[in-house]
Amino acid sequence: MSLSTHTTPSGFVLPSIHAAPPFFTKQPNPATEAIVIEQWSKLILSYARHRKLFMLRVDDAETPGGEWDEVLRNERINRRLPPTHLESILTAMVVKGVAAYEPAKQTRSVLLYWRLPEEWAEVLHQWATSTGQMNTIMTYYEITEPAVPSPLSNIPIPLLRKAIAILAKTNRAQVIAIADGEGVRFFAPAK
Amino acid sequence: MGGNQSTPKITAQDRAILDLKLQRDKLRQYQKKVQGVLDREEAIARQHLEAGRKDRALIALRQRKYQQSLLQKTDGQLENLESLVFTIEFSLVEVSVLHGLKQGNEVLKEIHREMNVESVEKLLDETAEARAYQNEISDMLANNLTLDEEDAVQEELKQLQVEIVRGPRRRGIHARLLTETEKDVELPSVPQTAPTRFEEEPEGIYMHLHYVPL
Repeated sequence: MSLSTHTTPSGFVLPSIHAAPPFFTKQPNPATEAIVIEQWSKLILSYARHRKLFMLRVDDAETPGGEWDEVLRNERINRRLPPTHLESILTAMVVKGVAAYEPAKQTRSVLLYWRLPEEWAEVLHQWATSTGQMNTIMTYYEITEPAVPSPLSNIPIPLLRKAIAILAKTNRAQVIAIADGEGVRFFAPAK
Repeated sequence: MGGNQSTPKITAQDRAILDLKLQRDKLRQYQKKVQGVLDREEAIARQHLEAGRKDRALIALRQRKYQQSLLQKTDGQLENLESLVFTIEFSLVEVSVLHGLKQGNEVLKEIHREMNVESVEKLLDETAEARAYQNEISDMLANNLTLDEEDAVQEELKQLQVEIVRGPRRRGIHARLLTETEKDVELPSVPQTAPTRFEEEPEGIYMHLHYVPL
């Protein structure tokens, strides 16, 4: 049996392990299982980065036709990741800090941190600097859906909030809240 | 870095701007929604037409037309809001420019206060005095030689010049320097042997030359 990488229609290169049937089954040996979960979380994060996906739900493994099909299924070997297995992978990722339950207090959908909130904070500040948005008040909508696509296009609001909170700690951003919604103002870093 | 000191306070103005921008975003979202409805109505009309229900398709298309007019209206409103936002932001820039000008003016005034006309005049007078004094000293020092002595120096110089012109022309360059007017300039012959070391400079000439009054 030879395993080889496979390029998906979206241009993502799946690792050879993705063509191994046991990869899709829960391993009885805890050590093996840990390695499989490690591989899965790596694969999920790199695929999320490739497609700019922010959310992963257990539901994505249950119903076909979603944006995660290329990874969670392998029709060539007739395998798919069982939802329960995906749930345990998600749990491991949350424990490792590369994902967070979103919304909180449930275990079926997570926000993927293929960039950590700290890294997002830097990306956000850099974007605001390069587009000359210093000292002006911006709405979250302006950031998540700019007229010109930016690295922050479609970033989920919870993640955006986290990044802004990190910037606010170092006085590089300020949250302004009114009854109708929230806005943010960016500042040049303090000397 | 201490606390929130470096972040400016949120003013009522800031809140108003944010409110305006949020309204603008809402309008944009509404436009997106209307656009979705437009696409949907078209799909519905197509479906009806394929099924042979012409009247139903017509209704869907009418709906679509109405939504289209709504979209155009919101376009105008959005333009209004956007231009208001831009005007406000531009006014803020103007305010900061004014502030900058004011500060610059203050600084300029401060500098001028330190540099008033009287003190400048006084300073210039003092400088002139000092210069006059300096000139006096220079004159005194320069006039150390009496006129007789000066004549003697001139005489000595002339003698030296003559001596050099008539004397053995050891070096073409010296001859040329001092006998510029002479017609029969004799060029030195090309040496037959490779030069080993320059002869000693006739330093005396230069030493005396320094006494020529300028």
